[in-house]
Amino acid sequence: MLHLSRKMRFLPYLLILPALLLLFVFKLYPIIITLRESFIGKNGLTLKNFQLLFKDSIFWNSLMVTLKMNIVIIPLQIFIALIFALLVNAPIRGIGIFRTIFYLPITISATVSCLVWNVMLNPNSGVVNSFLNYIGIGAQDFFLDKNQALWCIVLVASWIGCGYWMMFILAGLKNIDPVLYEAAMVDGSGWLHTTLTITLPLLKNVLLFVFVANTTSNILLFVPMQLITNGGPQGSTDVLMFEAYLSAFKYYDRSRSSAIVLVLLVLIIIICAFQAKMLNEKSDRGAGKA
Amino acid sequence: MTRRQKKLIKTILLYIVLFILAFLLLFPLLWGISASLRSDNELFSYVMPFSWHTLIPVEWTFQSYIDLFAKYNFLKPVMNTLFVTAVSIIIGCFLNSIAAFAFAMFDFPLKNFLFGLVLLSFMIPFEAIALPLYQVVDSMHLVDTYQGLILPSLANGLVMFLFVQFFRDIPAELLDAARVDGAGVGKVFVTILMPLSKPIFITAGLMFFMNQWNSYLWPLLIARSKNIRTIQIALGFFSTEHKTNWSALYAGSMFSAMIPLCLFLPLQKYFVQGITSSGIKG
Repeated sequence: MLHLSRKMRFLPYLLILPALLLLFVFKLYPIIITLRESFIGKNGLTLKNFQLLFKDSIFWNSLMVTLKMNIVIIPLQIFIALIFALLVNAPIRGIGIFRTIFYLPITISATVSCLVWNVMLNPNSGVVNSFLNYIGIGAQDFFLDKNQALWCIVLVASWIGCGYWMMFILAGLKNIDPVLYEAAMVDGSGWLHTTLTITLPLLKNVLLFVFVANTTSNILLFVPMQLITNGGPQGSTDVLMFEAYLSAFKYYDRSRSSAIVLVLLVLIIIICAFQAKMLNEKSDRGAGKA
Repeated sequence: MTRRQKKLIKTILLYIVLFILAFLLLFPLLWGISASLRSDNELFSYVMPFSWHTLIPVEWTFQSYIDLFAKYNFLKPVMNTLFVTAVSIIIGCFLNSIAAFAFAMFDFPLKNFLFGLVLLSFMIPFEAIALPLYQVVDSMHLVDTYQGLILPSLANGLVMFLFVQFFRDIPAELLDAARVDGAGVGKVFVTILMPLSKPIFITAGLMFFMNQWNSYLWPLLIARSKNIRTIQIALGFFSTEHKTNWSALYAGSMFSAMIPLCLFLPLQKYFVQGITSSGIKG
């Protein structure tokens, strides 16, 4: 720590003031607004907004769609990101180029990504169906089929996101002392064994960060729904965040929107706490074995 | 088989896997570029049945890019986005790095509580607060202004956190020595800390760049009028309920995707370094 003279003792506050002021006005205060709007009605404190919400069948459908999508997308993205990170950590020539290519989709805006995928997966004039016809599988309805639309969104979102999560896991891999691998090699441990018993337990903190950040971003995912499916067909991609967006900007019902956002935040906290617990237990067992 | 042969086979297999994955990840982009180079009447004619020309244009043309700027005045949203992005990068890096400097280098009352607020703020995702944030910005009469586009993104908890982690690893003796020599805090920051922190400044800059360049929801809410519209919003106007202007849409999309690419390729080395040194350690 640097020492400050008496005259200078207010300097740190001066340095953090602008950033913290902006954080408060544009990040923390909106949260307070959300709380206020969801709990305060015409006559003071009320739970009316939540009662209305819990009686609403559209809400329950959205909750189910949100859960269904996230049970698949969170483990899927983290698994792929982990594989990518292990691959691009290999000490071979030109690996930097692959690292950049894997990371590339996140640098493209969601608008452009959704547009390109929407056109490629178009049932009548899309290149994917053209190829599927060619190899004999036959054309699919993709975003127009209520059983496929959600999984197509999972595909698009994973194409966009996996490289981003890969970067954090890669950073964790780079921080592992190579001596540990050499020791394992001397012991005759194979690649898979080394990965499971040495690499993964050492990645615990990184994985925890990635799990929390990934969960948050996926539970709140709604741009593909807004740009491609509009929540359809038949509500099959109508996630909660999209409902919150519709409530605020299409139906001008701010208290419903705030109540949904609050439900989402609670959902995120529950899932993240569960993941943290699982991850801790798992690595304890791993450490016990080693 | 000798050990060396085994290793060679492993390396070749690794390259094959990497190439297949790279192709799958690049395909949508390559396909978009190919579509943007087609002439208007060729756009949909080679889709079925599947052939080489489904993927590669028959006649290559830059006409859609020329039209984009000559006919549709795409330069205005590009300039708007560049302006918003540049201002965000400069002010954002400055504000977050000086705050992080204070958190990393000095002890002061309430420090832990205030840093806790910073961490809390970066766990609140933007989408969750976009709607109430709109009310805040509206009450400040900043809807439809550049300030409204820029101000909410300047203080960034994640960026500040990365800066703090990086500054903490810089030995305090180095800075103290300079102070003993009579340099002021400002001089220490600019002449000693900044040159040492190149990777983290580049990482922070890239994060601000990506946030602003690709941001869609926020400008959709804030940038109502034509003269402050950003690229992502302008792209949306090529496609209306009745008709989509495909060639302009493709050319605009690919143009907007190329700029971050050109920045990212040469800077990716620093970006990995910046995140690796962030203390998100194994």
